[in-house]
Amino acid sequence: MIKSVLIFNQLGKPRLIKFYEQIGTTLQQEILREIHALVAKRPDTQCNFLEGCRSMGTDSRIIYRHYATLYFVFVVDSSESELGILDLIQVFVEALDRMFENVCELDLIFHFDEIHYILMEVVEAGM
Amino acid sequence: MFEKSLTDLIQGLRANKRNEAEYIQKSLEEIQSEVQQSDMHCKSTAIDKLNYLHMLGYDTNWANFNAVEVMASPRFGEKRKGYLAAAQSFHQETDVLMLATNLIRKDLASSNAMEVSVALDGLAQVATPELATDLFDDVAAVLGHSRPFIRKKALVCLYRLVLKHPEGLHALAPQLRERLDDPDPSVVSSAVSVICELARTNPHNYLPLAPRLYQLMNSSTNNWMLIKIVKLFASLTPIEPRLAKKLHGPLSQLICSTSAMSLLYECIHTAVVGDIIGVPLPVTDNVGREVDFAELCARKLVFFYESADHNLRYVGLVTLGELQARRPELVVNQYETVLKCLDDPDLSIRMRALSVISGMATRRTLDRTVKRLMSQLILSNTIRLQPVASLPSVGSIEYGGKYNGSAADSDLMAMATDATGASLVSARGSIVQSRQLTGAGPGPADSPEYRLLVVEAIVDMCTRQSYGNLSNFEWYVAVLVDLVYTAGVDVGQLLSEKILDVTVRVRQVREFSVRLMRQMLSDRQLVGRATSGSSTAKVLCTAAYILGEYCSLLSANSEDIALLLPECFEKLDGEQQATFVQAAIKVYTNWLRDVAGYWSTEVWELVRAVTSSIISQLSDLLSARTGEGNALGGIVAVAELPLQVTSRLRHFVEITKAVSVATSNPSDSAPQLCLELHELFTAYELNPVSAAAQGKVPIPDGLDLDSPIGGPIPDTEHIMFPPPPPVSPESRPRGSQSGGGRKQRRSHKNEPFYLDGGNDAGHARSLADLPDVDDIPVVQLDLGGHGSEDAAKTRKKKKRSTKHGATKRERRNRVRTPSPPPAPVDIAGDEDMPDVSAPRPQPQSTPPAQH
Repeated sequence: MIKSVLIFNQLGKPRLIKFYEQIGTTLQQEILREIHALVAKRPDTQCNFLEGCRSMGTDSRIIYRHYATLYFVFVVDSSESELGILDLIQVFVEALDRMFENVCELDLIFHFDEIHYILMEVVEAGM
Repeated sequence: MFEKSLTDLIQGLRANKRNEAEYIQKSLEEIQSEVQQSDMHCKSTAIDKLNYLHMLGYDTNWANFNAVEVMASPRFGEKRKGYLAAAQSFHQETDVLMLATNLIRKDLASSNAMEVSVALDGLAQVATPELATDLFDDVAAVLGHSRPFIRKKALVCLYRLVLKHPEGLHALAPQLRERLDDPDPSVVSSAVSVICELARTNPHNYLPLAPRLYQLMNSSTNNWMLIKIVKLFASLTPIEPRLAKKLHGPLSQLICSTSAMSLLYECIHTAVVGDIIGVPLPVTDNVGREVDFAELCARKLVFFYESADHNLRYVGLVTLGELQARRPELVVNQYETVLKCLDDPDLSIRMRALSVISGMATRRTLDRTVKRLMSQLILSNTIRLQPVASLPSVGSIEYGGKYNGSAADSDLMAMATDATGASLVSARGSIVQSRQLTGAGPGPADSPEYRLLVVEAIVDMCTRQSYGNLSNFEWYVAVLVDLVYTAGVDVGQLLSEKILDVTVRVRQVREFSVRLMRQMLSDRQLVGRATSGSSTAKVLCTAAYILGEYCSLLSANSEDIALLLPECFEKLDGEQQATFVQAAIKVYTNWLRDVAGYWSTEVWELVRAVTSSIISQLSDLLSARTGEGNALGGIVAVAELPLQVTSRLRHFVEITKAVSVATSNPSDSAPQLCLELHELFTAYELNPVSAAAQGKVPIPDGLDLDSPIGGPIPDTEHIMFPPPPPVSPESRPRGSQSGGGRKQRRSHKNEPFYLDGGNDAGHARSLADLPDVDDIPVVQLDLGGHGSEDAAKTRKKKKRSTKHGATKRERRNRVRTPSPPPAPVDIAGDEDMPDVSAPRPQPQSTPPAQH
């Protein structure tokens, strides 16, 4: 099951945050910061999987992809295939691309609700 | 009223980068007023803006009610915004959710598919147990909707509802089965996902679905679904071994034919995890040869972790780890490759490689692996290592020997072998410096989690199967000591335990170990770093213990005593101090004994000198801490030494005083005392004792552990003691009195608040009266309470067969008559309470073999 979907830029500013578990607002922001700290310092040559995220539970893995200035992060548990999730991220980004035509960060900023709706079609409540 | 739309808000935010907080505050206020308006459009815009602000971290719960209002809007766009707000910020306790129930129900029944879908989405995310119970049937009804995307969403929503409302599972399961046959593939895929999730917690329920899933696997081309099905089978196979055989064929085909990396990986992973490789059937691979399935998997896996793509490498290592846990022989020949992965700059890959490597340790590979890991620890960039004067130099000689054999390992090793005989640390020190000069950033070896894992892995590899892999114990001890210096993380406890363990268990290595310990203790820098809680202190404490315990193995040296009362003494905590003092005593007595062997006047003077210096040191320690006066005149409030330490210090003082008395006159031969003092500590050899040993000590006969010692606690027995007859103890036969009283008491027994009218006083009296009650004749009851000690004994000796087939009670009763009645007070009713009503005259002496 997908526990959360986060999109943020290199500075850590959130562009989209979606949690499929009930988590309080402050905790959400903390998780965001923690994941940003973990992900931002990895060079592109390293693999896109991380384990051992403390705040989201012991079963969780972080799978991310880095596109230009944005990080697309999916936090999943062990029932999901890592490579499959990578493909899913790709699909999601392609969908965004088709909607916005050469999607860039600005599009995400101004149309964040639409991003949510697209995401809702792709991933519903964690599946 | 002019309201800002979402775009305006965002633009405003970007324009006001510097005073964001104020701008947001202002906007929040605006929004607050906007949501109160009755105009739906206004409200929904406000909610939209709130969603955005929520993402930035601002709590939006105050607008929950308004969000629900917006959800009720007839316009789809606005409704969507409301649902989004709900999904983002509602949580389980939000009370407005109850208001939403009917609203959602209406939406679910709506004819507009979009509304249905948005309702499903929202519901899936905010489901609470109440909502789930209420709306379950509505969602189930939607499962039959004409549009496939609605059906698929409904399935997922139902799953989320079932998580909150487990009884719905019964209704869900048949629906799932139906949906597996749905014509639309997306619905099927969604059903498979749900089953996959559910099966993780409870695989048995979904086993009957296996045939259909099997069919799907063979027929489908949708990779995502195939991945899910394969994963699902991985969780089903452990409980249904026949499934493994059936899966064998299609899985192997998939492995050979698929081009999708992800699917291939999942198949191999399932094959390994689900133990399908255990099936001994051969398969045909791409070129038509027959190979063993396991080998096929292993070969394909090699492709993964040798690839340049880090992701593939990572997943390859993950599965390799799994494979190794199950079939180590397939993995053994991959040692070199995995060793290379260990040096990968990527931390995740390293950690995985580490776990695989530590599983692969054998005698031959052990020292190479450990060396590689140690070099990683040493070569870290940012952790400063104290330039130590000399490594356990004996260790370096040991190392030197091994290094010569494998010079190809890394430049560290090369340097060590080049600087022949030079200690490892000088090589190490220079490397540390050169690294720091290059100013490289922190590498993966610096991460404390990684270092901890490395240390644990090293220790684990060496101690596996009670040191099965170790051929050279001295090398192992040297490695442990090195780890103390280089670890950089708090592993003191672990290392000290291991050092102790190997020293105690392996007799041959004790001498070497003691020597190393002495070296550690004489390392002033190391000792200087030891503070109360630090890991170095723990290790030093163990070192002191070992030095004390096995000091006879070394040539005795009076400086050792000084070592054991170091300057950092005050900084250690109580237990550690006690260990140090105890060790000091042992070493001192050992030295005395040693020195007594070649007694002479110089020796006598030496003894006196050493003894007096120790006495003064000890008295310093004692007085400085017990606050008796202070040279500076002020009373400094210092913590008192804990009792164990002061007591040992005093022992030491006494011993030294005794010695100084014995040596008060120069004598030709050593005083007897010197020779014998050490006997205090060498009477028995201490061997490691297993934790379960105490439980195995047989209970000696006649010792009854179950019955309480002495009288019972008054208030619990209050009910069970019939009060003494009010008039006179001997007037009536006990039986009737106790019978009547007993009934009364039984009725009152369970009422905790029943005060038996002055019974407590009476009861106390009754206890005191009991010896007088001896004259009251004992009445044999058929049901009978317990005999006093017999009951306990019979309970204990349950295994004894009843010889005459008599029940326990009759036996007891029979037995009781001949023995003098110690406690004529009979206990009413409660069988479980052990009854000891009187101070027993002869509790244990009655032989158990009464019956």
